Amino acid sequence: MSVVHALPDATSGTAPVLEARALAARYGHVEALHPIDLHVAEGELVAVLGPNGAGKSTLLRAILGLVSNSGTVSLRGTPLPRQNPVAVASRGVVLVPEGRGIFGPMSVAENLELGAYRLRDRAEFARRRERVMTLFPRLKERLTQVAGSMSGGEQQMLAIGRALMAGPQVLLLDEPSLGLAPRVTEEILATLGTLNGEGLSIILVEQKAPLALELANRAYLLSVGRIVATLDPREITSYDELAQHYFA
Amino acid sequence: MADFSYIPQVLVSGLGIGCVYGLIGIGFCVIYNASGIVNFAQGAFVMLGGMITHGLLQRYGLPLLPAALIAIAVVALLGVVLERVVVRPLWDRKATMFTMILATLAAQIVIERLTLIVGGDQPKTLPVFTDLPPLQIGGVAVSFQLLWIVGASLLAVGALAAFFRLTRTGKAMRACAINREAAALQGIPVSRMLAAAFAISAGLGAMAGILITPTQYTAFNVGVPFAISGFIAAIVGGFGRPFGAFLGGLMLGLVQSLAILGFGAGWKTVAALSVLLLFLFIRPSGLLGAATK
Ligand SMILES: Nc1ncnc2c1ncn2[C@@H]1O[C@H](COP(=O)(O)OP(=O)(O)OP(=O)(O)O)[C@@H](O)[C@H]1O
Ligand SMILES: [Mg+2]
Repeated sequence: MSVVHALPDATSGTAPVLEARALAARYGHVEALHPIDLHVAEGELVAVLGPNGAGKSTLLRAILGLVSNSGTVSLRGTPLPRQNPVAVASRGVVLVPEGRGIFGPMSVAENLELGAYRLRDRAEFARRRERVMTLFPRLKERLTQVAGSMSGGEQQMLAIGRALMAGPQVLLLDEPSLGLAPRVTEEILATLGTLNGEGLSIILVEQKAPLALELANRAYLLSVGRIVATLDPREITSYDELAQHYFA
Repeated sequence: MADFSYIPQVLVSGLGIGCVYGLIGIGFCVIYNASGIVNFAQGAFVMLGGMITHGLLQRYGLPLLPAALIAIAVVALLGVVLERVVVRPLWDRKATMFTMILATLAAQIVIERLTLIVGGDQPKTLPVFTDLPPLQIGGVAVSFQLLWIVGASLLAVGALAAFFRLTRTGKAMRACAINREAAALQGIPVSRMLAAAFAISAGLGAMAGILITPTQYTAFNVGVPFAISGFIAAIVGGFGRPFGAFLGGLMLGLVQSLAILGFGAGWKTVAALSVLLLFLFIRPSGLLGAATK
């Protein structure tokens, strides 16, 4: 049985930062994401949970327009173009994709520069870079290193740092903990908490539900391409309770 | 039997043609890196470089250098037109590699035939850039045209390296080559990068065509053989590796010249294809290893 909680809507009055209405996605003739509604309010960290193959990555890719999609996605009330990831990214909807997508043969510094591809303001560039160095001091020591030769955790830090260089309106992360040691995962998730604490709106897709729920204001539970529950993390007190949702 | 005392002389001229193959090979790589497309219209750019320069000299009486620069710019622009008119619509429809190859090959034939209609079927040539007797260096005659070819090629390769390493657009093009989707996620306009790649490739092709024409001739149908040599250079260099392609071109030029000396002019193509087969069998990833996709 899935429980749908009626949550107080933090957005009342202002448009959400990101809002999807009847967003669906298909691979060829197969609809992998059935029409869903989802929103992220200003300053919210929303977790998207669900088992393998539930459609979590597809959801993020549909928001960016990386898969053929239907429905609408709006950024602060303005509809985003439907199948144009470059335009969506340029508006500040920035995805750290599954598998990180860093430019392996290029240096760490070049990766960060490319994150700020749209930015022409040198002072702002320096400011953002300084910020990333503060958040991930390990990147600072490795600026000239070839990105692909770093550890998985460092590469994930770079991927997030590169996304921050774009000055995102909303940051989308697809399983940043994938393949990382628990300690590194905690470090990275803690940084996301810090960023969110400073007001950055975030959608976090995670398999490691307990960790994500610690940070999240709200969580959507996805199963077989549908949102089956919207959870309030404060009400999920035990792992068993969560497992119930997974297998409902 | 061949006279081996000619070997240094032959190697020197092989170097010249090798540079030209190398420039064409780089053109293949730059487009391939930006898009995964093998552009079989590459030869048309080479042919047009020589033909347009010739036209500007004959019809408008321009001096050589401005004529050459204008021709390179015009051909680079034509590269962008080709990308917009032929490649982009197919690309947007997610056409297969085979469709792209056929479409660019068709473009090659159309450009060739149009050139035949406009310019006629008579071979044309260009004057040498510096009309002085060859330099004698250690018993080897080095023509000024060869110096132009090698010098201009090295300059182009150096400029390209600087472009890819230092400029924002160059870095963005490299990013597209490494991971196009990730590049799009950074807001890098990937389709504009593709147009830039066509412009660069076309410009390099035109430059190759202009440099080599004074030593031979040009006509509406010289494109394809040059494209094949450039394609081999790109494979020998490790496809997708611009500087590998340049080395591959040099190697191909040297081997061809030696084959012509040793066995006669008829063996030129045999030598080129042997080099290709040898690499496909022994070192399919090329001199520098194929670019990782
Ligand atoms: N490129 C594709 N072509 C066809 N089907 C796909 C493609 N990518 C994903 N799918 C299918 O869409 C469904 C959702 O996949 P998706 O990758 O979004 O799941 P996920 O929740 O991200 O899983 P995971 O936790 O393993 O990353 C799956 O059934 C999958 O097989
Ligand atoms: Mg996934």
